[in-house]
Amino acid sequence: MAPSTQFEVSQPPSDVISAVVFAPDNTNRLLVSSWDRNVYLYEIAEGTEDATLVNKFEHRAPILDVCFGANGNEAYTAGLDCSVKRIDLSTGEQTVLSTHEKPVRCVVYSPQHSMLISASWDHTLHVHNTSAPNSTPITISLPGKPHALAASPSKVVVAMTARLVHIYDLPTLASALASPDPASVTIAPWQQRESSLKFLTRAVACMPNDAGYATSSIEGRVAVEWFEDTAESQARKYAFKCHRQTAPEEEGGGDVVYPVNALTFHPVYGTFASGGGDGTVALWDAEAKRRMRQYQKFPDSVAALAFSNNGKYLAIVVCRGFETDMEDFNSAGRTKVFIRELGETEAKGKGPK
Amino acid sequence: MGKKKRGHPDVEELLARPWCYYCERDFEDLKLLISHQKAKHFKCDRCGKRLNTAGGLSVHMNQVHKESLDKVENALPNRQGLDIEIFGMEGVPDDIVQQHNQRIITNFYTAQAERHAATGNPPPGQAGGQGPAKKIKVETPEELKKRLAEHRAKVAAIKANGGVVPVPVVVPKAQPASVSPVAGQSPAQGASPFPPPQPGFPYPPPVGVPGAFPPPVQPGVVGAYPPVYPPPGATPTPPGAPGGPGFNLPARPTGGALPQRSPYYNNYNGGAVPPPGGGYPGASTVDELVSGAARQGDEIDQLIRAAEQGSKPPARAGEDAAGGEKKGKSKDKNMRMVYGDSEVSPEEKMALLPRYAVSAA
Repeated sequence: MAPSTQFEVSQPPSDVISAVVFAPDNTNRLLVSSWDRNVYLYEIAEGTEDATLVNKFEHRAPILDVCFGANGNEAYTAGLDCSVKRIDLSTGEQTVLSTHEKPVRCVVYSPQHSMLISASWDHTLHVHNTSAPNSTPITISLPGKPHALAASPSKVVVAMTARLVHIYDLPTLASALASPDPASVTIAPWQQRESSLKFLTRAVACMPNDAGYATSSIEGRVAVEWFEDTAESQARKYAFKCHRQTAPEEEGGGDVVYPVNALTFHPVYGTFASGGGDGTVALWDAEAKRRMRQYQKFPDSVAALAFSNNGKYLAIVVCRGFETDMEDFNSAGRTKVFIRELGETEAKGKGPK
Repeated sequence: MGKKKRGHPDVEELLARPWCYYCERDFEDLKLLISHQKAKHFKCDRCGKRLNTAGGLSVHMNQVHKESLDKVENALPNRQGLDIEIFGMEGVPDDIVQQHNQRIITNFYTAQAERHAATGNPPPGQAGGQGPAKKIKVETPEELKKRLAEHRAKVAAIKANGGVVPVPVVVPKAQPASVSPVAGQSPAQGASPFPPPQPGFPYPPPVGVPGAFPPPVQPGVVGAYPPVYPPPGATPTPPGAPGGPGFNLPARPTGGALPQRSPYYNNYNGGAVPPPGGGYPGASTVDELVSGAARQGDEIDQLIRAAEQGSKPPARAGEDAAGGEKKGKSKDKNMRMVYGDSEVSPEEKMALLPRYAVSAA
C-alpha cells in the first residue's frame, strides 16, 4: 500500500469543533473553531506530517463558525454570544462587527465583493462591507431560522428551517451596500426555493464554478442543484442517499441513518466531499453522479471538512456527534483534526459519460 | 461469411465474453470482470479494501482483522468455496467452463429461435439456395417451434417416466417421427454436445471436447442427462449435415420434467422470455441463480454494466432523485435516524447545555 498521506494534528481543540477553513492565499494555513471558546490557527509543516498550533484566540462564548477574510491574516467568527467578530490573526486583535439578537450560526466571506454575511438564529442576515469596517451592516430578515450558509462567486445560499432555501445575488447586495442609505434598502432574494431534502438541512456548499450548490440533511441525504432557473437546469437536480449503515439483524435490521454534517467542493476539480455522523468521508463527482472514493471510517462523527485553496489538502475534523436526546453530551478526548494530503488525481472526476 | 451487425451478438462473441466464476455474470472485457470480482467478491467488509483473490482476502482478514473468511461473498451457493483460486478467468475448473458454455449456447439458440419466430426471418446461412436448406426454410419457424415443443414434451415425459418410453403425452399435434431413446443409454455418444439447430449454421466447435458432457456439479442437475441426443444408431448430427427433426434442436440438461408443460411451450412465441423453470430445472437452476444474483446486484455492478453498454451510468445518485422521495417513504419505516429532530438543529440543543452558557460579560 502507498504510504499514508493522512496525519492527525497533535494539538486538537478540547471540545466539539464547529468549523474548519483553509486560508485563501496560503495552502498550509487553517483555522478551526470550537465550542471550547477558542479559534485555533494551525500551519501544516511541510514534510513533518503535522500541523503546528500557531496561535489560539479565545472568545467569551463557544464559536459556531469561522471564515477567513480577504487574506490569511484576517478571520471572522460567529459566536454563541450573538456577536460577529473580526480577528487580526497576526496581532490577535478582536473587533465586534455587529451584534445579532440571538447566537450567530454562520459567517461567510465573499472575496469578490469584500463582503461578510452572517446568519443568526434571530432570523436575520447581516451584510457587512468589510472595506468600511465602521459602516452599519444591512439587515435582511429571513422567514426561517438559518442553519447553513454558503457563498459562490456571485450568489449566497441560505438554508433555513421548514426546508426554506433563499439565494441572494451578491452584486445586488454589494450595490445595496454602496447606496447612500443602506439601511433603507429592502433586498429580496434572487430565488426562493424549497429544499429538495425533506429533513433539516445540515450543510450547504457552492460549486466553485458558480453553477450550483449541494445541500445535505440530517437524514443521510445529499442534493445537488443548479442556480440557473431554466427547466433544463432544474431537471438536472438530484438527491441521493449516503452515510447510512445497515443495522444488524439482531437490532431489528433496517438502516441507521446519520446526518451529513459537512460538504465541501474541491476548488479545482469541482467534485465534492461529504462527511457524516457515521464517521466516513466520501468524494463525489457531481457531474457524473458517482461516488469516487470513500475513505476509511474515522473514529467519530465527521463534523466539518475543508479543502485547501489549491485542493492539495483535505482537513477532516471529527468529534463526538450530537445525537437525539443526549443530555450528558461531551466530546472531551474525542475531538481530532486530520489532514489528508490528496494525490494528484485523487479528487479528479472522470467527467460525465 | 459476411459479418452482419445486428442488435444481438454471435454465439462466438457470447462465448468469448469473460465471465465470473462466482456469480456467472459475463462482462465486456477482462478488466471489467476483474473490477467486478474485486468489488463484489473480494472486498473486505470490514474496511472496504479490495483484494485480487479470495486467498488474498482471506490473508487480509486474518492479518488485519484477525478474522477468518469462510466463504466468498455474493457467490452462487455452490461456488462460495475458498479452495479454488480465481482471478478473472484464471483458475476456473474446466468442467465449470464447459457447463457455462453449454448454458450460453443453449440460451443463445433459444433466443435465436425466438428471434426467428418473431421476425419470420430465415436463419442465417439459409438465404442462399442449397437444396436441403431451402426445404428447411420452407418449414416456418412456428412449425419448428412446435416440433421443438413436442419433442421437449416428449423427452420430458420420458424423463418423468423414469426414462421409459412414455405413456401418451398431451401434445396438440401429432407426434413427429418417433425418436425413441433407449433408457439408460449413454447420451454423449456420437453427438456433438451442442448441435446447431440448422445444418450449415456457422458456429464454432464448442470449447469443450466434443462428446464430453459437463459433469454434474450444479445443484439441481442431478447427474441425469436426458436422452435428448439421438441414440448411437440414429442419425448423428455433425455440423453441416441436415439434421433430423427433434434432436438437432438446442439441448439442455433436464432434470424431471412435466408433460403438462408442453402446451406452454407451444403457446409461447417469439419475443417471449425463454421459459423459466419447469421442464428444464437443471439449466434453469443456473439461470435462476444467475438472475437472482443479478437482482441483488449492487450499484457497482450496475455501473459496470452501464459502462459496458457505453450508455450513461444509471446515475446511482440520480435514480434516487427520481424515486427518492417516494422510495424513501416506504423505507423510512425501517430506518433509524441518529439525529431525528427536523426543527431544531443539534447546535441549538448544544447551545442550551449549561456548560456552554455565555458568561454575561
